[in-house]
Amino acid sequence: MNTLVADQKSISQPKPAKKRKLIGDRGDYFLNRIQGETGANVSACYQCERCTNACPVSHFMDIKPHQAMRYVQLGWREDLLKSSTIWVCLSCEMCTTYCPNEVGVAEVINHLRNIAAHSSITPKERNLAVFHQTFLEVLRKSGRINEFRLMNAYYLKPNILHEKIKSGSFKEELLLGLTLLRKGRLKPFTSRSKAIKDIQKAYIQARGEIV
Amino acid sequence: MKLSFYPGCSLEGMAVDYARSIDAVFQALDIDLVEIDDWSCCGATAAHSLSEAMSVILPARNLFAAEQMGLDIVSPCANCFNRLRFSQQMIQKGVLDVPWPVTGDLKVHDMTRFLADPAMIKQIKKRVLKSLKGLKLVCYYGCQMVRPPRITGYADYENPQTLDRIAAATGAQVIDWSYKATCCGASIGIARREIGASLTKRLLDKARQAGAEAIVVSCPLCQSNLDMIQKDHLERQIPIFYFTELLRLSFSDRGNPKWFKTHFTNPVRLLKTKSLL
Repeated sequence: MNTLVADQKSISQPKPAKKRKLIGDRGDYFLNRIQGETGANVSACYQCERCTNACPVSHFMDIKPHQAMRYVQLGWREDLLKSSTIWVCLSCEMCTTYCPNEVGVAEVINHLRNIAAHSSITPKERNLAVFHQTFLEVLRKSGRINEFRLMNAYYLKPNILHEKIKSGSFKEELLLGLTLLRKGRLKPFTSRSKAIKDIQKAYIQARGEIV
Repeated sequence: MKLSFYPGCSLEGMAVDYARSIDAVFQALDIDLVEIDDWSCCGATAAHSLSEAMSVILPARNLFAAEQMGLDIVSPCANCFNRLRFSQQMIQKGVLDVPWPVTGDLKVHDMTRFLADPAMIKQIKKRVLKSLKGLKLVCYYGCQMVRPPRITGYADYENPQTLDRIAAATGAQVIDWSYKATCCGASIGIARREIGASLTKRLLDKARQAGAEAIVVSCPLCQSNLDMIQKDHLERQIPIFYFTELLRLSFSDRGNPKWFKTHFTNPVRLLKTKSLL
């Protein structure tokens, strides 16, 4: 019975002809770039899907890890940078560890995340990107991460608090924070590292400016 | 024995109980831990996500400070250990220049493998005053400590044994399970709650199915993830111990319930029924 319904549906609504996507017009420039910068042998990927099966969060990705490798081979750069995959990835290294051809899948995804962070493309998982950004900002200011300062800075980022209140999770998180404070696990004041100067200098150097 | 100690940021905040138990355990084992002068954050996941260069440079500063002291590094945090090792390897390969003259000669130990060494296990067994007999445990390693093997140097990354050996040395019953090194979601739960929750809940379910009464961890983030998700659960709660907390408990003939007051899932009842406290 079910199959009949499905058949009728497919008859009544003919599928639109798939627009065929071409191999990236930059040839294998993108593939070579990624391989050169990460040292990962993406060309060796033969789509066995072992990375996707090992990935604990592949369920939340729009482009699965093995597909991402194919996209790199084809040079579909924009699709990758716009995907949620690169932000959802936990860097748990399951994919890299279990790849039979030793393609550094996690390293490639991490590198794509780097490229996306420095491009003008808005990340699909904005909250995750903002969290990473906040983490580095706090690190730069105090040399060490203090969870209390980190969470405050994260909530004060545009849209974050608004979204939390709207989804109703804010109250719960506030109570959790208060419990943590009471238990002494969140500390409003901790020592700063004297390393801040060194770190800020390193940041300036990493930007390509001369100290 | 003297070692330089890189605590990592969590041990000052969320994992104060871990820090306290480490102090107690290493004092009992007569090992001197010297904190690295003015250590700074290793950058964790955020640094390598947004800037690969900084993920090498940030740990390099700590490597340099430890090299000045001339002592091998031991790190209790899985991610710090991973990042320090990664940075060291990148510098040795000459992939990136760092502002400090790091040679990369020091050994970077993660604390579990350091204590799971056969000689150290002997020392631990000598100091156990009270066997944790009857306590059913599963050991959870998480990702960053064991993977990727070419950085961490774990040969048994599919079925790591370091925590199991330490827990067995205290006399507890260690149960084998299949989720030893499955990711707990790390910091993703802060920005995307449902992803983090789905991963931690699965781990807790599997631990319950394996028949565990408690989970042993060595990573501060794994501990807080697994611990905090249980705060409003009606199901049977599973306490999450740091492995040093168990060692501390077995090293003293009478434990103190105050050691566990920072936990969300209170292990005191479990330990009292086993007459371990």
